Amino acid sequence: MAPLRRKPKTIAGQEPLTIEVGDGAAIPRRKDVGMFTAWRVAFFGAIAMVLYLIFFTPDPYRNIIAFVPDGIWVTFKVTVGAILLALVIGLFAGLGRLATNRVINGIASLYVEVIRGIPLLVQLFYIYYALGRIVNIPAITSAIIAMAVCYGAYMGEIFRAGIQSIPKGQMEAARSLGMNKTQAMVHVILPQAVTVILPPIGNEFVALLKDSSLVSILAVADLLRRGREFASESFTYFETYTMVALVYLIMTLFFSKLISIMEERIRAGK
Amino acid sequence: MHSQNVGKLDFGKKLTKHIDNGKVSAVLSFLVKDRECVHVRTGHPGKKISSKEGGAMKVSRFCLVFLTVLVALCVVTLISSDTFAQAKKVRKVVVATDATWPPMEMVDASKKIVGFDIDFMNAVAKEAGFQVEYRNTAWDGIFGGLEAKKYDAIISSVTITEERQKKYDFSEPYVNVGQILVIPKAAKNVKALADLKGKKVGAQIGTTGAFEIKKVQGVELKTYDEIGLAFEDMAAGRIDGVVCDEPTAAHFALQRAEYKAKFSIAGQPFTEESYGVVVQKGDKELVDLLNKGIRAAKAKKIDEQLKKKWLR
Repeated sequence: MAPLRRKPKTIAGQEPLTIEVGDGAAIPRRKDVGMFTAWRVAFFGAIAMVLYLIFFTPDPYRNIIAFVPDGIWVTFKVTVGAILLALVIGLFAGLGRLATNRVINGIASLYVEVIRGIPLLVQLFYIYYALGRIVNIPAITSAIIAMAVCYGAYMGEIFRAGIQSIPKGQMEAARSLGMNKTQAMVHVILPQAVTVILPPIGNEFVALLKDSSLVSILAVADLLRRGREFASESFTYFETYTMVALVYLIMTLFFSKLISIMEERIRAGK
Repeated sequence: MHSQNVGKLDFGKKLTKHIDNGKVSAVLSFLVKDRECVHVRTGHPGKKISSKEGGAMKVSRFCLVFLTVLVALCVVTLISSDTFAQAKKVRKVVVATDATWPPMEMVDASKKIVGFDIDFMNAVAKEAGFQVEYRNTAWDGIFGGLEAKKYDAIISSVTITEERQKKYDFSEPYVNVGQILVIPKAAKNVKALADLKGKKVGAQIGTTGAFEIKKVQGVELKTYDEIGLAFEDMAAGRIDGVVCDEPTAAHFALQRAEYKAKFSIAGQPFTEESYGVVVQKGDKELVDLLNKGIRAAKAKKIDEQLKKKWLR
């Protein structure tokens, strides 16, 4: 019998260093007192500014805010649609990346590598016009598909990391209870991984909300395009983009807060 | 102190030796390589330099030399270009154009901006005696750039409209065109915008074509950054019509090989518009200069020649 192998030595008592740099707005937690204040100042400041501009300079600000609501709705639809679809794509990409089957693993890895190597703007153009040549689907659906394909790759990495963060023993225990791999994944691993991956998914949601402004180049009448249409007709570029920026800011801050509340709930429930 | 003296001495000797040999580049590399020299020049006579530190210094010294040469080059270029411009004493007018509007303005295979407007502007400049520099600028924001004084004028198939005249000044009109509707060949019984109620019609953002679509009740306007993207979207079947200036419509629907079989032009132009050169509000000097050139070019029938060349 071979002698028991010792684990490779790690530096005792030292956790591996990680830094977290989110793409989304800094999500305030209860302990981040400074952040919390910054969030409040930004959120209520932005709302106050919008109201101030609408009431004290109705021309052009009230006209702008009257022009863009359907754009806000489209932005919201694109974001939610894309994130839901990206979750599905990401789950399969993540599982594929962990698969022992070489072909599946290869396809999933290739997808992630290719998508992460192409700028989102280029992908949007590509998928939108490439899809247009093959099938006739509405602009907004193509935009959602394009965003989801891109974010699916990043989502896949989140899923992979989340699943890998669950100790190996869980899978081994489940298997020893007679579950097959799929059952173990569905009933044991994934439910535990969800709490790990929800926070980064929240970040992705906020990042996607901001990136959704890119679909305005595809003639999807989102918030930014509505703003640009208004500006191009009234020549009030500065005023329009001020308003558009404030509306985006309010939206991202609102969702960041919502996500942080959700995160806290999850932590409390642990 | 002692080591410094010695160093200096060495430095001097080596330097002269290299110059004697006529190798200026060798001197440069010598400056970088010789650690003794670095030691002396940094002014730490008593301090020994470890090899690691010396390496870092080598790099930084190299960077320094590189930067110096770069800055010197920049200064020389600046000075020479400045004197060049002064010697000519000709007013240079920077003109913005959105070169995505064939055949009026577009980018050719050699990345040059060409088209009716460009040829015409060159003729105007020649007649009025000024230099032109073109800036390819996205249409969405081309007026904002003028307001921000990024350029002096715009020649980009800009229709003279009342709303635009409120914010900017225009030259005299130099060519007349109209808006026209382009539809897929398969579409039947479509003669005007009013026949497309409940359908989507595309145009470039902020163009008179987009404004015309908006005027028609029941037609949904889709705006694009470039008119070519609108035509591509119509080819994909996402929209049922495109409205743009007649020359541009003719270019896409009648001349482009990939669209010829797919699109047709519906009816006649339904607006009467004139293009003008746009300048900042109150820039009377430039308006006068442009008008002088436009009149002279028209007197020589240059506009007619260009119509034959670019518009058919």
